[in-house]
Amino acid sequence: MTDLAIRPRATLDPLAHAETLLDTQAPQRPTATPRIRIEVDGRVVEGLEGQTILEVCRDNGIEIPTLCYEPKLPGFGACRMCVVEVEGEEHPPISCSRACEDGMKVQTQTEEVRRLRRTNLELIFSDHNAYCLPPCQNKCPSHIDIPGFLKQNAEANWRESVRIFKRTIPFPSVLGRVCPAPCEEHCRRDEVDEAIAIRDSHRYAGDQVIRAMLNENVDPPVPFEVQPRSGRRIAVIGSGPAGATAAYYLLIAGHDVTIFERDPMPGGMLRYGIPQYRLPKVEVLEAEYEGIVRLGGRFVTNQGLGRDFTLDDLQNQGFDAVCVAIGCYDTNKLGIPGEDGTGVIDGLDYLRTATLGLEYPGHAGSRVVVIGGGFTSMDCTRTSVRLGAAEVTLVYRRDMKDMPASDEVHEAIEEGATAIFQAGPVRIVTDATNTVTGVEFIRMKLGEPDASGRRRPEPAPGTEFTIPCDRVLLAIGQGPDLTWIGPGSDGPKASKQRRLVADAVTFETGRPGVFGTGDVRIGAATVVQAIAEGRRAAYAVDAYVKGLDLAAIRTRQTLAEPQPEFLSIVPFTSEIKEPRIRLKKMEAEARNRSYIEYEIPYTRAEAVAESTRCLQCTCEAIGFCDLRRLGIEYGTTLATLEPHHNSGAGYRSVTENRFTGYNHDYIRDDSHAFILREPSRCIDCGRCAQVCSEVVGAACYDFMRIGFDTLVTTPLDMSLNDTPCVSCGRCAETCPTGALMPKPRVLQKYEVDESRCILCGICVDACPYDALRDSTEFELSHESRAEPMIDLLSYSAVNQETEVTYIRRERDWAERAMADGRLLDTGRLLPMLPASIANGNGNGHGNGHAHDHGGAGATAGRHK
Amino acid sequence: MTTLLATPAGWPQILLARARKAAPVGSPGSATATGPFAGLRIAIERLGPEGTIRAIEQSGLRGRGGAGFPTGTKWRKAAATEASRRYVVANGYGADPAVSIDQVLMERDPFGLLEGVAIAAYAIGASEAVIAVRAEYAEAARGLEAAILAAEAAGFLGADILSSGVDLTVTVRTVQGAYMLGEETVLLKALEGKRGQPEQRPPHPAERGMFGQPTVVQNIATLIAVPWILVNGAEAWRAIGTPDAPGTVLVQVSGAAANGIAEVPTGTTLAQIIDLAGGVVPGRRVKAVLVGGPSGGLLPATALDTPYDFGPLRAAGAHVGSGSIVVADERTCVVDLARLLTAFCADEACGKTIPCRIGTRRIAEIGDRVTSGRPRPTDLQLLADLSHDVVASALCDHERLATLPYASAMRYFRSELDDHVLRSSCPAGVCRPIAVAGVAAGY
Repeated sequence: MTDLAIRPRATLDPLAHAETLLDTQAPQRPTATPRIRIEVDGRVVEGLEGQTILEVCRDNGIEIPTLCYEPKLPGFGACRMCVVEVEGEEHPPISCSRACEDGMKVQTQTEEVRRLRRTNLELIFSDHNAYCLPPCQNKCPSHIDIPGFLKQNAEANWRESVRIFKRTIPFPSVLGRVCPAPCEEHCRRDEVDEAIAIRDSHRYAGDQVIRAMLNENVDPPVPFEVQPRSGRRIAVIGSGPAGATAAYYLLIAGHDVTIFERDPMPGGMLRYGIPQYRLPKVEVLEAEYEGIVRLGGRFVTNQGLGRDFTLDDLQNQGFDAVCVAIGCYDTNKLGIPGEDGTGVIDGLDYLRTATLGLEYPGHAGSRVVVIGGGFTSMDCTRTSVRLGAAEVTLVYRRDMKDMPASDEVHEAIEEGATAIFQAGPVRIVTDATNTVTGVEFIRMKLGEPDASGRRRPEPAPGTEFTIPCDRVLLAIGQGPDLTWIGPGSDGPKASKQRRLVADAVTFETGRPGVFGTGDVRIGAATVVQAIAEGRRAAYAVDAYVKGLDLAAIRTRQTLAEPQPEFLSIVPFTSEIKEPRIRLKKMEAEARNRSYIEYEIPYTRAEAVAESTRCLQCTCEAIGFCDLRRLGIEYGTTLATLEPHHNSGAGYRSVTENRFTGYNHDYIRDDSHAFILREPSRCIDCGRCAQVCSEVVGAACYDFMRIGFDTLVTTPLDMSLNDTPCVSCGRCAETCPTGALMPKPRVLQKYEVDESRCILCGICVDACPYDALRDSTEFELSHESRAEPMIDLLSYSAVNQETEVTYIRRERDWAERAMADGRLLDTGRLLPMLPASIANGNGNGHGNGHAHDHGGAGATAGRHK
Repeated sequence: MTTLLATPAGWPQILLARARKAAPVGSPGSATATGPFAGLRIAIERLGPEGTIRAIEQSGLRGRGGAGFPTGTKWRKAAATEASRRYVVANGYGADPAVSIDQVLMERDPFGLLEGVAIAAYAIGASEAVIAVRAEYAEAARGLEAAILAAEAAGFLGADILSSGVDLTVTVRTVQGAYMLGEETVLLKALEGKRGQPEQRPPHPAERGMFGQPTVVQNIATLIAVPWILVNGAEAWRAIGTPDAPGTVLVQVSGAAANGIAEVPTGTTLAQIIDLAGGVVPGRRVKAVLVGGPSGGLLPATALDTPYDFGPLRAAGAHVGSGSIVVADERTCVVDLARLLTAFCADEACGKTIPCRIGTRRIAEIGDRVTSGRPRPTDLQLLADLSHDVVASALCDHERLATLPYASAMRYFRSELDDHVLRSSCPAGVCRPIAVAGVAAGY
């Protein structure tokens, strides 16, 4: 019997196979390799013999999705996403490891392989205990990077904060005043204590930029690099939020933009629909619109579409594209008797004067009834109070919680208005001269929820009542004025709901080169929705004038726009409770006579403190994540999430789909200085492990454990600090998700002090990017005892630290630390002292206070 | 000790012929009935490498590791691939915990194995061969080590075997780890010193295997059959069993029947095999037969006339696999058994691919839900859909076959599955308590 030891002559020594290993690991193909042709999706493409299907497709610009393929290495085949169909083969092969054969017929997008990919993605997501966008960003119609600008706010970088904001919305100060802030309703901080004041935070940052612009003439930041002039001319009709936003981004794209405005001043609803006390016109609105002028935008006012010019005129004048953003200005009719009486006023007409703080004829002293529950009705109510109306009554047919502008109701009541809910107008009472004397209402019951999710009001017979009044302001919604389209138009068309018909992604109307965006397309909406429309339309117009395929833009935009389906609530419970800092308001008695802004802005310290409360609950990989991109492309979680999507019951998690089951929740590893590990986001593709071992040579990662619990991680999940990690960051670079992320760091330039270099060469060995190299020059080392490097004698003369000086120094330090409150546990001082002192000089204070040597500073004992 | 089951007189005794004799380790003289290393001598002195491959091709020998790949084709591929060196690997991992065929063969017939290895190496031109032995089979490893030394001393292995000018080094490598090591590419990874995870095929190991070189990986029983074929001729082998996969196979019966290994010609029915083990335990009757190991198929009693052969078993929803036949009597709940098997496969997955790591786990979870009375209404449909997609995008056979227990249960035991899902009851009374709306029902 021999023992089990393997006899040396028979081992398979990996070193002996080094050449083969190199060969398999980095396939070097000579350029003389014969060319082959394969057919991919009906297109004949050329490749080199020995290339994989994936390589040939990539070389020819055909995209095959993959999560585990690392171009530097041979195909790994773990993610099964690059599966394709090859004619004549039963099982669809994996394109990253399947070599091409001449004449092969490949299909990359058949229903079968797309279904397999979707199943794979669903399986991945079912164990992907993570989320992408924070809920606030998701709920913002414009998807502003909210954690991004709050982070800058927290560091008081107002300018950078505004720059981030302007990437999606050009008007931080305007929105900081008028936005209904849907983001704040979904803030995750709400689970800790209270939601972040997101709107007030960007308002403060925007104001700082405006102040710098007005006082020091500092140009406001531009979110992207302004492109060279394209020479294309674009007309934007309407200077409201949608039009101005479209113009802003088109200007950055390098086009020549002219904005036509019907009214004497630009701003649309921002100027003529929102009162001065909510949005100061000169200080804020004009200041932010100044940014458009500074980019080269031209406003042409008093020019109305259909009134002063037609679409033909514009196109004849050589505009390459026209963007119609004329908004909604026609107030809807009630359709009840007496509506044509004197004293019944269109709310918007009224606001055109009233919002500017001008006297509206005959309003002072009159009794006013405002009908409606939206922002317009609130503005009508509150300006009527300010204009000195004797009595202002707001009537809304639904309940208060159903009002779009419910927040403002309390403020209006504080200011002196009356609000009546669940009452609908039946007729307007007029006298013989057809002048209004009152409005008859009927009480409403709330029935079953309608399409908007609110309960449908139903009249309760016999509950009629009349409110006597002199004036009725109608604010029950608006539609666009589309008379300019004309009957039988072969171009733009109006829909049955009285909207301009335009595509939701490409914004094309029926007429080439004419785009429709904003309220005119979607109906009266909030400012932030109009701005989101304008920005997306700008992309489409830009693509159109550049001659790009708009159908392709549709796909690209759908991918680029963040989708709301990837959410989960991750509770953050360890945060300190720290309530929201609320804006203070002027007293109601002071503000109901005044058009001055009634909210008192933050101080600088408050703004910083409020932004610091943000949990930054975003995935750092957002925008880079292949999994998210593929998940959106394949609609992976959509089907299962949709039924509950609008129920308001909160978000469903990423992991919820048809395969939902047990999933892993790993601990984040923050210990490394440069690389952040979030294993819950890991999809086990193995790319980091391969790159780290095959390219870098450090081998910090590998597949660990077995079965469902397999995870690509460090041995024993140790900190990266304890692995041979060289901090090169290639693992983070190759990670397809946010499982490995480079930590933000200040880029530092290093200097080498050659007088201290001992030429050990360790830096040369360790540098992963060959920034340092061995040179051909070298010198022989020698040693000379006559010239010691350190003069030990003189050194000892300087540093004459005795036990006494040592203890004194320690005592002084301890005193200072106690005084500063940095030191709480004095018992911890003991191990720092020499054993002889600690034991020999108790002084009756006991061991813990042995450092009170000589009684000179007995503070530590007292503080205990 | 595993019993070697007696077969009727007249049935061929090939693979177990020498294993039945006592005192295996000693001199190579006891290696074969017809003289020491007679097959190897025939290969070297009469056939030459090309002739040996042709003889194996003509015999129609198919690998006994489960997949049934034609051995001659594999050898020809490895011999034809240009390479500086080639390897032969004997897969003695014996992954299936219910089967000890490999262990028995290695312990009792080491010389037969060595002869097969030597013939394979000679045929494809390999000068190195590895016998991978599961580390728990310490006795087998020791026996093989001793047998190698003895064979080298006798000139059958080592330098210049049988004065042919050909060298062959045979090494015993003990491997331990996981069930997955039974898969050939996983085993090769492990032998290279890496984590055992499968590789995409093609290229097959015969073209690019261990260290990137052509490697022939064969099951122990296959290699033991090789010398017999060379000695007795390809025709003799062809005459046994079915024309599609001629020869004999080794099966191990366990469960509700006597545990033992039997050598049967291919095409023997499952019922005949169970009868060799003395039939079902008295008083019980066969409810299901698990054929092929943990990732095998569950066949009903009505399918007992299925011939034991690659094609028919596949068609019936099972496979040859490890050679295991587990008999389950009427006390067994098939749904619960399938859950157990799937959970085993999911836990033993190497974790490389998504469909395997997560997909098989999700199938096992469906099993958990079904057997605990908390199924989702769509679970059976989900099971079918997911199984299909896992099979279609599988990397290796492990995940493909891991779907088999439930796939075959759905095929043959649908009513029992429906009882669990629709009526929250377990006819066999195994799954309990079956909870309905949070209340333990029934028991």
